[in-house]
Order: sequence, then structure tokens, then C-alpha cells
Amino acid sequence: MWKDLTDLLYQAYEQFGFLPLFIEIALIFIGLALLATLIAYASILYKRWKGYIYEKRLNFITPKIEDMITEQVLLNEKLGSVPVDEIEFDPVALSDKIYKKPWVRQVMIDVLIQYRKNFRGEVGELLRKLYIDLILTKDSFDKMKTLKWERKIKAVMELTQMDIPISDVTILPLTNSQNPSLRAAARNAYIQLSKNDPFKFFDIATEPLLPWDQLDMFRIITTTRDISIPNFSRWVSYSTNKSVVSFCLKLIAHYDQRSAIPAVMDLLNNKDHYFRADAINCLGKLRAEIAEVRLQKIYDHQPLICQIEILKAIGQIASGKYLEFLKHEFSYSSNFDIRMNAARAIIDHDTEESRAIVKDLMTTTYEENRIIIKHCLNPLIKY
Amino acid sequence: MANILVVEDDEIMLKAIKNILSKDGYNVILAKNGKEAFDKLEHADYDLVLSDLMMPYANGLEVISRLKNDPAKRHVSIIIVSSVGNEETITEAFRLGADDYLKKPIMAGELLIRIRKLLANRAVRHSL
Repeated sequence: MWKDLTDLLYQAYEQFGFLPLFIEIALIFIGLALLATLIAYASILYKRWKGYIYEKRLNFITPKIEDMITEQVLLNEKLGSVPVDEIEFDPVALSDKIYKKPWVRQVMIDVLIQYRKNFRGEVGELLRKLYIDLILTKDSFDKMKTLKWERKIKAVMELTQMDIPISDVTILPLTNSQNPSLRAAARNAYIQLSKNDPFKFFDIATEPLLPWDQLDMFRIITTTRDISIPNFSRWVSYSTNKSVVSFCLKLIAHYDQRSAIPAVMDLLNNKDHYFRADAINCLGKLRAEIAEVRLQKIYDHQPLICQIEILKAIGQIASGKYLEFLKHEFSYSSNFDIRMNAARAIIDHDTEESRAIVKDLMTTTYEENRIIIKHCLNPLIKY
Repeated sequence: MANILVVEDDEIMLKAIKNILSKDGYNVILAKNGKEAFDKLEHADYDLVLSDLMMPYANGLEVISRLKNDPAKRHVSIIIVSSVGNEETITEAFRLGADDYLKKPIMAGELLIRIRKLLANRAVRHSL
């Protein structure tokens, strides 16, 4: 049978040269396509088989690890009576040969992290001690040395979850990595792990803080305990990274750092109008009365985005000195957004004088402006 | 020995809570989601329900609502254990009838103290 097949293939090979060129090309393409399909199927099958084996191993090892953690940590008799640092684990339980295999060690790290996410206090501390005593820190630090960025991210996250300090030499370069995911993970880790100067990476940041990263970082900054909050005006004045300055302006407003007002006011001279808009927004949130004169003075020379921010800021500062200016803008501006924000700024003052102006405008102004005022007066409408 | 129903979709947390509570002498029954919790609540009496908020099929708020709207089960105390920590959800949980709220990550000791206190208060209420 095999002889017939080889004869057939040989004959086909001999006749191949006599076929027309386009048939030859078509046959070559068919052959290549068949080969590619076979390779694709083989690799899919191999990956599925590997996944199946891993799943099987996982189902075997996870309960064993969970039992060990339960016994050594959750049900530890010394918990609550002896300081966590002085609790010793059972060496026999920890010295099982299977715990030396790299894939098992990775599962142990994953399970420990899962527990750490659910428990704090003494149990959380004991889980950390178990991670250290099993020398799993070495596994995580080894991962930091690989060239694969996704493995580096995993390592950074493991060390952060376990509250293991990473030296500046290792982590600071990663905070400025060209890979956005690695950069974000390293920055978040730095904030959580650095006790003295968690924002030091702002000094060297040349890569941008992306909007989503800013959101994530803001969540971490505002939820991490015992974080030392610096005066963010330092970066507002000296950083050349626009996204860092913009983010610091948001943090200044959030932490109500009024001492940063002069630094923020310096940004009003910046050539970038998005920067100026952010600075004006920050001054409004800080209710910086000292900046009001300047804001009104620069108003006429600003683009629309900054003018709107100035109107909002004057409404937030609400000193009452610029009500006539707001009334003028509301009455005579041809731009809808300007009128809308001027009306809202007048209403935000919420004083006798501002209420009188609103009342007066409702009787003297034309229909569209009256609709704007009614819209702004409705407390249920935010925008 | 008090009967406690633990409703939690994270199996690690489920087992961990079971171990902690069993060690303290409670009779612990487990449910992996809201639907399973409803089934278990139908067939047995519990003194306390410890429930997560975000779960498949029926969430923690639905569990509270179902318990507190059933005259026969209204007396069961409920503690919510969740990583959802926004004020609206907490307020809603208390409005529906939750007795206590613990935000994850939890402290095992704190959980036990709160359970003990709730059960003790419940016992005093019953004796009056």
C-alpha cells in the first residue's frame, strides 16, 4: 500500500512540471494552506492539552495549599495571644517536597494573594509572614528580572499585595517604562509601598500619566492608609511633564492645599490654554479669593474653554465682588455656554444680592435667557 | 450552638469564613450564591446570615429583602461582608434591614466579635 502511495506521489511530482504555470501556483498555495491549517490545529490542540493538564494539577494542589493556609494561619492557636512576628509555622507542613516546584510556588502565591485580599489585621499579617517564610519573595523578585513585561507586572502586583518593599533602583525605572501597562503598575506599586516619598517618581516621569491611569492612581492615593501627602505645588512649579502637572492640580484641589495657590496662579501665564483651564479650575475649587481679580482681568483675552472655567471659578469663590461682571456676561454674550455658566455662577453665590439679580434678570431679559435661568435654578439638574 | 448561613461566591473566602466560625463553635452552612441561599433558608432555621453583596443569580441586597419581607424569617440577623464600600450601597443594605456591615478585607477577630454581639442582643430581645 505504501509502495502504491509513493508511486502515486512520484508520478504526481513528475507530472507537476508539465502543468500550466497558474495551476502549479494554485497547487503550491493549496499545499501551503493545508500545511498552515494542520499547524494551527496542532498548536490549538497542544495548548488545550497543556491547559487541561494545568487545570488538573491546579485542582489537585489548590485544596492542599488551602488546607495548609487554614491550618497554619486561620486556625493558628497562637493568633491573638502571641505577636505575629513571633509566631512560628510548623516546619513539617511547610517543607513538603511539592512546595519546591516552581508551578506549585506560583499557585501558592496566587492563593495567598486571594486570602490577603479578603483578610487584614493579624490574619493578613500572618499571611504575609507565611509568604516570606516560604521564600516566595524570591520567586516574585526573580520574575522582576525577566524581559517579559507581563511577568514583571505580575511580580510588581504580588509584591504590592504582600506589602514587600521594592528598592528604588528596581522600581523607579519601571515607573517611566515605555510600556503603559507596566508603567501604571509600577507607579501604583510605588505609591503603595514607599512610606516616605510615595510621589518621588513624579520627579523623573517623562512618559505621560494617561487619563485612566490618573483615575486608578487617584483611587489608590485616596484609599491607601498612612500615605504621606506632600505639597503638590512642587511639581506644578517645576515639572516639565504636562500630565503630571495636570494631575497634581487635581490633587491640590482634592486635598485643599491652599498653600499651593501662588504656584497655581503662576500657571495662568502658561502658553498652553488647557493648562490654564486646569489651573483656573483648581483655583475655583480652592475658593482662592486672592485670584479673583486676576481671573477677571485676563478673562477677555482667553479662549472659550478658559472663559468658561473663569466663570465657574468666580461662582465657586462667590465673593460677591464680580456679580455685575457675571450679569454683564449673561446679558450680552452671544455664546450659549458663556450665558449658561454665568447664570450658574450668579446662582451659586446664593446671597441676597445674587438672588435679587436673578429676580431682576427674570423680568428684564428675553425668553431664551429666562429658560437658561430656570434650568440653572433646578437643583436636580447638574449640567 | 448558633446556626449561621454564609453566602459568598468566592470559594476561598467561603472556606476561610467556615473555618473561622467553626473554630468558634458555630454550626456553619454554606451557599455559593443568592439562589442557593434562598433554597437553604427555605429548609432550615438560621440565627444569622453572613452575606456578600455582589453574587450571581441573586445579590446580597435581594437576600436581605427576601429575608426581611418573610414574617417567619424576619428575626434572622444579617451581616453584610463585601468589598463594595460606597455609601449608597451601605445605606441601601441598612434600609432593607441589614444589622451590620463589614468591608473586605475583614479582620477575623472583628467579625467574631460582631457576630457574638449580634447573637447576644438577639438572645436578650427573645428573653424580653
